Amino acid sequence: MKKKISPMTRKSFVTYGLLLIVFIAVEIMMNTGNISSMLKGLLVPVCVYSILAVSLNLTVGILGELSLGQAGFMCIGAYSSAIFSNLVKDTITQPLIRFPLAIIIGGICAALFGILIGIPVLRLRGDYLAIVTLAFGEIIKNVFAALYIGYDSTGLHFSLKSQGDLGLGADGKMIINGALGISGTPNDSTFEIAAAILFITLIIAYNFVNSRTGRAVMSIRDNRIAAESVGINITKYKLITFGLTAFLAGVAGVLYSHNFYSLQASKFDYNMSILVLVFVVLGGIGSIRGSVIAAVVLTMLPEYLRSINNYRMLFYAVILIVMMICTSNATIRNFFVHNFEKLKGLIFKNKSKTVKEAE
Amino acid sequence: MALLEVKKLGISFGGLRAVDEFSIKIEKGELYGLIGPNGAGKTTIFNLLTGVYKPTDGSILLDGVDITGKSTIQINRAGIARTFQNIRLFHNLSVIDNVKVGLHNHYKYSAGTGVFRLPKYFRTEKEMNKKALELLKVFDLDGEAYLPASGLPYGKQRKLEIARALATEPKLLLLDEPAAGMNPNETAGLMDTILTVRDEFGVTVLLIEHDMFLVSGICEKLTVLNFGQLLCEGKTGDVLSNPEVIKAYLGE
Repeated sequence: MKKKISPMTRKSFVTYGLLLIVFIAVEIMMNTGNISSMLKGLLVPVCVYSILAVSLNLTVGILGELSLGQAGFMCIGAYSSAIFSNLVKDTITQPLIRFPLAIIIGGICAALFGILIGIPVLRLRGDYLAIVTLAFGEIIKNVFAALYIGYDSTGLHFSLKSQGDLGLGADGKMIINGALGISGTPNDSTFEIAAAILFITLIIAYNFVNSRTGRAVMSIRDNRIAAESVGINITKYKLITFGLTAFLAGVAGVLYSHNFYSLQASKFDYNMSILVLVFVVLGGIGSIRGSVIAAVVLTMLPEYLRSINNYRMLFYAVILIVMMICTSNATIRNFFVHNFEKLKGLIFKNKSKTVKEAE
Repeated sequence: MALLEVKKLGISFGGLRAVDEFSIKIEKGELYGLIGPNGAGKTTIFNLLTGVYKPTDGSILLDGVDITGKSTIQINRAGIARTFQNIRLFHNLSVIDNVKVGLHNHYKYSAGTGVFRLPKYFRTEKEMNKKALELLKVFDLDGEAYLPASGLPYGKQRKLEIARALATEPKLLLLDEPAAGMNPNETAGLMDTILTVRDEFGVTVLLIEHDMFLVSGICEKLTVLNFGQLLCEGKTGDVLSNPEVIKAYLGE
């Protein structure tokens, strides 16, 4: 008998394959110079948003809780790693050593905050959880917007008041300048690294879902009371998921901050969190591959609509609404699925014939 | 020593005394029935035994260990598993995964092992699959192992819930109206299953049921509950012919 591959494993390998194909295609385009500068500039953000969407899907789709604090965790990852990179950029000049360290630091800082915030917050459910996470996201953003950090020969200086309050020496340098944000972060994010991290994120997400821990988390989503009755520790698994989501969001933040020379905390407002939630909902709650596809399409779309400048956001909104209706309406979805099956039938016709003949 | 010994258990919700001075003693290996009219407090007793509600007074001893006021998770680990009156499966998970969630606390590896697919992951998952399929086979569900649980017909969903509860390796299994909504054929099949569970797994069973055919067919002892209070207890035959029970519940 042929060894049975579980549907979950097959799904994950199809996603890895698709990503690999796209990656190779983009690499070929880049090396042959067939790529517009606009698309080139979008490559890292596309990966960043895909990672964010996949990580949020773990909380929204797998755990079944609505979290709107994604931008806050991203902000922590972005800032903590940017501070690190700014401090060590003169001592560790090799980006291949510096950047992985920054990624780990950013991810761990975000995960720590995720767990710290998760302990009180995860007692809430549904709308209440959404509101509180939204508030935490805004608090994180505003704290960073008011933060001043600089360093000189005597060490690091912190302040929440003003640049002058830091009391930097003559050789002092600013790292975070309040609302003006961070500047001078080394541009370590490349498409290759971002794609590799997206790939790792997908592996983590699929392996997480398809493991003992993932099953426990999904059992909580499906029926909390029954999960408790078979001895599943609900708080523990909620925290693990929330922590993992925060970790991956933090990593996305690292990629994001190392893609720009300067970065303001105001970028990480609730619009960002909502945007990521839109990717998750549009891609299909619980569908990891869908999250990536939605993130890619919806990140590129506004840029390609730039040619119709004034009407850009109008078109974006209309397309979004149409896509939402198409994916949530059963009749329309069945129409697509039906035609897709037909197409598949046409392509694989010869193959199925040979199988029949063999029998 | 009795497997389950409940003494003077009681709970009040505000002014309502839902269960009052309830005592029961179940020996190891017994098949025990809990019957009574609707609203008598049967499911409330299950919720008290499993830690969903904390009793206001009284004590619960499982195998000599005091489990009064413990959490649902602790009680499950101590050895009580249950099914629910309104089926509570993990609907989006496959049939086998439902059972594997039940095996959660007996086959362990860390979250990191799962994410990084260390050798222990494959080893443990293989053991879990084997154990889960064995359990499903007892309930004749192994053919549907990879279907989503929500796709099962009603009777099989009930069976799957029992399989999931058994996966936690309980000493005492609580079944809340296992035959509800089943036709006579399905009920007869269920009776066989419950007997198999008791004999093969050595599990003591306490069940709530309204189907007198099932109750008189398999229960060895009965306790009758009325208005939150114990009405009568004893051997099935004696209890069912007791005039008070007939008056309060069975009907003359």
